Amino acid sequence: MRVFQMQRISAIALVVFLTIHMIVVHYPPFHIDFDQIIIRMADPLWKAIDIVFLFFVLMHALAGAWVVLTDVQRFSRLKRAFAGAAIVIGLIAFYYGTKTIIAFQPPV
Amino acid sequence: MGNNSTHPTAIVRIQRFNPETDAKPHMQEFEVELKPGTTVLDALHEIKTHQDGSLTFRRSCRHAICGSCAMHVNGKNELVCNAPLKERLDRHGRITIRPLPYLPILKDLVVDRSSFWEQYLRVKPWLTPPEDAPEKEFRMSPEEVAALNNAETCIMCGACYSSCQIVGLTKEYIGPHALLKAFLRVMDPRDSIPGERLADLDGTDGVYRCRTIFNCIDACPKNLNPTLAIETLRKLAQKREAFEQARIERQKHLDEPIPAR
Amino acid sequence: MYTSSGFISFALRRLTGVALVVYLFMHLWVIGSVNAGPEAFDARLAFVQQPLFKLLEVALLAAVVYHAIDGIRIIVVHYTGITEYRKSMFYAVLAVSTLLVIAGGVPIIRFMLEGK
Ligand code: FES
Repeated sequence: MRVFQMQRISAIALVVFLTIHMIVVHYPPFHIDFDQIIIRMADPLWKAIDIVFLFFVLMHALAGAWVVLTDVQRFSRLKRAFAGAAIVIGLIAFYYGTKTIIAFQPPV
Repeated sequence: MGNNSTHPTAIVRIQRFNPETDAKPHMQEFEVELKPGTTVLDALHEIKTHQDGSLTFRRSCRHAICGSCAMHVNGKNELVCNAPLKERLDRHGRITIRPLPYLPILKDLVVDRSSFWEQYLRVKPWLTPPEDAPEKEFRMSPEEVAALNNAETCIMCGACYSSCQIVGLTKEYIGPHALLKAFLRVMDPRDSIPGERLADLDGTDGVYRCRTIFNCIDACPKNLNPTLAIETLRKLAQKREAFEQARIERQKHLDEPIPAR
Repeated sequence: MYTSSGFISFALRRLTGVALVVYLFMHLWVIGSVNAGPEAFDARLAFVQQPLFKLLEVALLAAVVYHAIDGIRIIVVHYTGITEYRKSMFYAVLAVSTLLVIAGGVPIIRFMLEGK
């Protein structure tokens, strides 16, 4: 799949996910802490939503960064290296993020 | 002003650069008489003949068809031979003329357009008729002509190419002018290699490099629409095979008269 | 330099995009502290909820909203091929994002000032 299509698809997905995320997480009450988040995150469905969200957000961010960099002629020789780096960073961040999402467990 | 014997004047600010003596381009001001009905190009000629013979710029036809005189006037690309001087003056009676942006400056208002032509050749801008082309005239239907969106009237002046920020960032981009030409050939029912063309354009240097900034539309002195051409090519590239097939079908009837509607 | 509404939208989209990528990784790092237990998480979260960060949050909201709405505009152009209203569409994007940022930002500022 082309980076171009990746950007459009993840963009449309993000419009949906980000709207949900902003309203649910960053809206009143403004002060948040673990106890509040855990109420929502105890539901596996929210965890699943957040993991999908994380996937799209990383895809959009890294593909976007790749596009911004490779639009500069000086960096175009490094196209492949950048793409490789983006994939590696993406995988690490996805692993770390997923681990984080799953770590939201009510303390036993 | 009409019956006034002394004409008002216009201040023409021109970006000068002489590669032999200057390290960087600089601005120089000239004052010319503002005669009725003169163009920006006339002002440049006036300066070159009477004030500074070293002023260098390109022009040829003087009626907006050769495309040599595209320049950056008051922050917009246009053909100076087709720009009324009076309308381009700001309220202090000034006009600023620079060479086309994002291209290497050779001297004063003359830029190096080699990347423009290199990219142009890259899209095989010529028509490739079918091998067994009939020895008769080819006919296009009015709809097929309308679909070209006047793209055939492009005069290759470079105004769109040098208005594009992506061209400013990378000369690897094919550019709006060449993509518009490719669009013209792809849409032409007489062309037999639309599939090959679409495959060539279907890359990061081609239609996917366009970031939809729209400068090319704003800059085009012929009111053409390279952005829409690029959008169309992007869509056609998705269904390349079907499009190629339809072209083969269409070319079986190239020499037949267009059915009356 | 060729300035136009198209260029301004493009430059803003890139700037906000780069800023959001940087933010995303900071966000991951802050939230990731939960791996070290709820206490570490609450500590780091309290740090980024000081009043100053609320101002940054409004900036973040502005970046997200602009980037999203302008992106929608570009996608609309891809799908419909509308190019003649390019300027008015961009101004509409600016207007809509301003409204959304005000709608979302005022409660944040009020929370910052009044603490509730
Ligand atoms: S001189 Fe020929 S287009 Fe202006």
